[in-house]
Order: sequence, then structure tokens, then C-alpha cells
Amino acid sequence: MNKILLIIQREYLSRVKKKSFILMTLLTPVIIAAFYGIMIYFSLQGATSTFHKVAVVNNNSALTEKLKSGKNISYTYFSTSLQDVKKNYLKEGFDYILYLPEFTLDAPKGIQLMGDKQASLALNSKVANDLEETLRTQQLKASGIAQQDLDRLSTSVDIDTMKIGQNGKEEDSSAGATTIIGSAAGILMFMFILLYGIQVMRGVIEEKTSRIIEVMISSVKPFQLMMGKIIGIALVGLTQFILWIILTTAISTVAVQFFTGKDKAAQTMQSASTLDNKDTEKAGQAITDSQQTKKAKIQDKLSESGPVAYVQKSLAHLDLTKIILVFIFFFLGGYLFYSALYAAIGSAVDSETETQQFVMPVMMPLFVGYALSLSVISNDPYGPIAFWLSMIPFTSPIAMMVRLPYGVPDWQLGLSMVLLIIGFVGTVWFASKIYRVGILMYGKKTSLKEMIKWFTYKN
Amino acid sequence: MLSVHNIVKQYASHRALNDVSLEVAQGQIFGLLGPNGAGKTSLIRIITQITAPDSGEVIFNGQRLNSDHIAQIGYLPEERGLYKKMEIGEQVLYLAKLKGLSTAEATKRVKYWFEKLEMGSWWNKKVEDLSKGMQQKVQFVATVLHQPELIILDEPFSGFDPVNADVIKNEILELNRQGATFIFSTHRMESVEELCDSIALIHQSKKILDGKVADIKEEYRNNTYWLEYDGSLSSEGHETLYQVIKKEEIRNKIRMKIQLQPNVTANQLLYYLLPLVNIHRLDEVIATMNDIFIEKVKPSQN
Repeated sequence: MNKILLIIQREYLSRVKKKSFILMTLLTPVIIAAFYGIMIYFSLQGATSTFHKVAVVNNNSALTEKLKSGKNISYTYFSTSLQDVKKNYLKEGFDYILYLPEFTLDAPKGIQLMGDKQASLALNSKVANDLEETLRTQQLKASGIAQQDLDRLSTSVDIDTMKIGQNGKEEDSSAGATTIIGSAAGILMFMFILLYGIQVMRGVIEEKTSRIIEVMISSVKPFQLMMGKIIGIALVGLTQFILWIILTTAISTVAVQFFTGKDKAAQTMQSASTLDNKDTEKAGQAITDSQQTKKAKIQDKLSESGPVAYVQKSLAHLDLTKIILVFIFFFLGGYLFYSALYAAIGSAVDSETETQQFVMPVMMPLFVGYALSLSVISNDPYGPIAFWLSMIPFTSPIAMMVRLPYGVPDWQLGLSMVLLIIGFVGTVWFASKIYRVGILMYGKKTSLKEMIKWFTYKN
Repeated sequence: MLSVHNIVKQYASHRALNDVSLEVAQGQIFGLLGPNGAGKTSLIRIITQITAPDSGEVIFNGQRLNSDHIAQIGYLPEERGLYKKMEIGEQVLYLAKLKGLSTAEATKRVKYWFEKLEMGSWWNKKVEDLSKGMQQKVQFVATVLHQPELIILDEPFSGFDPVNADVIKNEILELNRQGATFIFSTHRMESVEELCDSIALIHQSKKILDGKVADIKEEYRNNTYWLEYDGSLSSEGHETLYQVIKKEEIRNKIRMKIQLQPNVTANQLLYYLLPLVNIHRLDEVIATMNDIFIEKVKPSQN
């Protein structure tokens, strides 16, 4: 046991001390945060996008209803001729001229939007929408409907997706965020298993080609060496994952604070003053209260800014802690399952170039699981395909991560975990039998048939 | 201290060891000889518990070989290898700790050996920055660091320049004086003659010869002598004493390689020759290990 610990220690430290590891671990959260920041930046930009002033020249006698100015656009009617407006519109601070010629109301044509710059597609469709709205209003009014009635008709619809929990309570959920979180977790799982599985294989090949293996095996059992390597590298992966979460959270928090800074500062002041006045227990209550109001305020503020608010709101309703814990379990399980196979491959070959023929069959199920997870499961997270993919150990780490945010019954989660444990115990046992023979074989090209023969060797 | 009894090791279609038995006594330097592919490495791997035999057993200090003995055996494989990216000091420490030494004890001994073999400045160097000979030295230290009772060296001098080979040879002899037993696998017969007390010769998976080096050499004495003289010696009348194998004339002297008849002694020969010629030299031709090796291995190879 002591020897396994020594091996784990070496495998772990020799990797964590590498420059490439440190760089990857530090840079990735910065990149994630940067993406996050860019997303927020652009959506905020979108919310306060350029204001357009449009001069309207209406030569159409039939169209009496006027265009209504909106949040990002204003319409000003001119009674002068188009020529005069063209001469002066820039001086008077207008960006565009909307020219409405004579046409019948049911077949408008010849309408022009002019300016010194080409109008953007967004602006074009905005103006077209407003115009259609105006035409409709006029026609509806013509058929005798009052203005109040029209106002009442224009309600906007927003659907909140709710999930009914096991206790019958409605839980807020969000299809969009679930898909995003599920896919992200699936992709991350796929990358982690592949990346660290390959590292195990490389490590085994390195020991074999540098011929240290014989010295090692005269000191420790092959199984100890294999498990030490696998566990050591698993800890490297775990370290990286946890550092990513901590760093990403830290950087994101700083970023969010930057955007909602003043609001937060005020809140902190407030909660600090409450702390002074009340005893500890109540103060704790007060902090949660103030945090909730703060949260609500931030949400209110961000809800004006569209997609970001949407994602943030949905994130708040997902049980992220559970997702992270389940991710760690399935990462370890899936990694153990696959890395044992990679260790067996590494032991059977003399160099990395020979690994191709063996790596493909091992990687296929992972790829299939990955591809199916992102298509089939996202569309039907409770269907039979999703169920089976999340049970079979070959695909369950990815499939279960994609399904999880949609909500998976506890018994399914438990069963999948048990199956994964059985699975990796099986692959580790299988791999160790090949490994102990393979590591001492040099210079022979190994076929699958031969590997099966090794399986029956006495050690 | 080590007895190997009737070891058989079978690989898929190839029998690597066929009923091999041998004895290594405490404090010996034991040579394990044999041509390439004879099964030496297979036997060593069984003694070092890298693999297990199909049948037969190995007795170490009176006990059946088991994992408790790992710490008492040091093994320097022919295919040398170290972790290329790891620092030397750390690496030797790691290997020593795997053999069961505590960190403090291992550090102390690594320092002692590095000092002794003038490797003190190598501690923080990486293996890939060392020359092949330097790597060999590191590996030798790693092999003997945990003071094993039995040290198995596979071609220990390959890759060393003569100076360093001598340094290592002296270390081997010193460790031997302190009580360590050595098994020594090599193709270099001159080092066998120089170092080994006993040998076993393995050929085509079988042991074909073993015993003390002196005894084997004795056995391979065949009453052959070099004789140098001047004067005339009749080419007839001596058949009852010796046969001439080779005869040549060098300047004024005649040099002959002769084989005495059984039961004839050198004294009888001298007694016969003294009145006839001036004798310049008479010495016995003693078979070298090299000759014995070739003689035992060659016929069956053809």
C-alpha cells in the first residue's frame, strides 16, 4: 500500500510541476471568463444600441396614422418636400429619411429609407415592422376598433418553463440553460476522459521505452504500478478541474462585480450596518435577507439586458453543487474505466505510433456516446436511448452529465453509478492481466489475438 | 543462500527455461553465462520476481521466494532505464523508497554514494542531460543503495570507459567483502575469470555446466603444454610420452604444442628431454573461460 502511495505521489508531482500544466490551469479560466465577459459586454451593448433619428416624408394621403417612436428610434414628420428634407436632414441631426410615396394601403410599394450611410439590416426590418404595425392599426381603426382595444391586444407573451418536482412542488427550470449546462458538462467530461486517459497511455509507454519498467517491476507489483499511475493522474485531473472551478468563479465574480459594482457596494454597506445593531443569529438572517434582495435587484437590473439575464436566472435554479459533485464522480468513474484500457494499450506497444489500431476501438464508444448525447439526449432526455446510454458504463459518464440538468430520478443515478463502478473494476481487472505481460514484451508487434493469449498467462 | 530448483518457464511456443537448477552460496560472486537467448534473462526475472516460473521453486535464505525478499535483492537490468525528465537525486530516492527505505535513511545513503562516486554535483540534473556512462553510474547506485544481500547485475560494465569500469569493479569487490552475494550475467569472459567464484552456463534453455571456476578449469585441463627448445629432437620414439599438436620454428628455437599421454607427468617429460635439448620454456596450456564457453556452446549450435 505504501508503495502505491509513493507511485501516486511521483506521478502526481511530476505532472503538476510541469509548466504546461500550470499554464493550462491558469489560462483556461481566464479564457472562460473572457468569453463570459465578452458575452455580457455585447448583450449590454445591444441593450443600449445606437439611437436612430428618422425624418419621415409622407406623400401618401391615405396613410394618416403616424409611426410611433420607440426605445431606439424616433420618427419626426416633415411637411416640406423630399428635396428640402434631403438638403437639411443631416444638419438637423437626422440619420435617415423615410420616404412614403402614394400607394394603396393593401399593396404598399416604393417606400424608401435613405441616408448618407447604408441602413443596417436590423434597422431596415425595425422600420418595416413599425410601418406594418402602423398600417394595421390604421386599417383596424378604419373597421371601427377603438384605440384602447388595440392597446389591450398588444400583450407580449413570455413562457416560463416549470418542472414539477417529486414532492409535487413546481420548480423553476429553463430548457435553454439546461441544454447549455448539460452539453458543456458532457463536452468537458469527454475532453477530460480522453485527455487524461491518453496521459496514462503515454506514461506507460514512457516507462516501457525508457526501460525503467524492469527496475520498477523488481520493486513493485505490476498492478501497484498501474494503479499508482492511474490514480496519480486522476488526482492531476481533479486538481485541474477544481482549480478551474475556483478560478472561474473568482474571475466571474470580479467581472460581475465590475458590472453591478455600485449596487453591490451599497448592499454591503447596508448589511454591515445591520450587523452592528443585531445579535449574531439575527444578523445571519439579515445577511441572507439582504443577499436575497441584492440578488433580486441584480436580476432586475440584468433582466433588461436579455440573454445574459436569461442564462443567469436559469443558472440560479439549477443545483450546481449537485452537478459538480456528480461530475466529479462520473469523471473519476469514467476515467478509471477508460484509463485502465489505455494502460493496457500502452503496455502492449513499443511506441506511440503503434497505438492507433488499439486506440480506435476504445475511443469509438466514447465518441458515439458524445455524439448521441448532444443530439438525441438533448431532444429527449427521458427517452429509452437516453436511459440506456446513461446506464452503460462506456457512455454513461457523458450521457448522464447531459441528462442531469434536466433532472434524473435518483434510482437511475444510483444504478448508473453502481454499473460504472462494476464497469471500472472489470476494466481494471482485465487491463492488469494484459499489462503485467505487455510491459515486459519488447520488439514484438502485438496483435489483438496475442493480447488475448496473454490474458491466460500465469503471472 | 539462493537455490533454484527445477525451474520451467514456458512462453507461448517457446520454452525459455527447461528444468534449470543451481546453487549460489553466501558471499559468492556467481557468473551466469550463456549465449544470447539462452534463458538467462528469464531466470533473472524469476529470481527478481518480475515473473513467476511455471514449475519449480526458488529458495532464498531457506525460505521460498516471496515479496518480503524484494527489499533484499538489487537488480541492474541489461536494458538500463531511468525516468528521463526526473532529477537524479529525486529519482534515486524514489527507487530507494520503493525498496522500503525511509526518506531520511534513503537521503543519507544517496548522499554517501554520490559523494563516493563523485556524483555530488548531479543531484539536480535531469537524466536526459547525462551521458550514457553517467546514467549507468546512477543506475548502479540505485541498485545497491538499499544494501541488498543479493545483487544481480546484468552486463554491469557495458557503457563504461575503462576508468569507470574499474571504479565499479572495485565497488563490487568491496560490497562483496562486506558480505553481499552477486549474480553476474555477462558475455565478457575476462571479467568472469577476474571476478567470479562459481558459474553456471545456460544454453538452449538448459543448464549445461556449473561449478567453481577453478574446478571447471581443472576439469578442462587436458595435459597440453607449450615447449620451447633448441637442439635436435628426433621426431620418433616419444609416442609413449606425448603427441605433437603444433610445431613451429621461431628464429633458432622450436616451439611445440604437445599433449602428454594420460598418466605422464611434466617431470617425466623433463627427465626425457634434459639430455637431448636445451629447454627454454615448458608451461601448461590452461583453458580460458572463453575457450570453455566456445567449446560447450559451439557444437550444438551447428
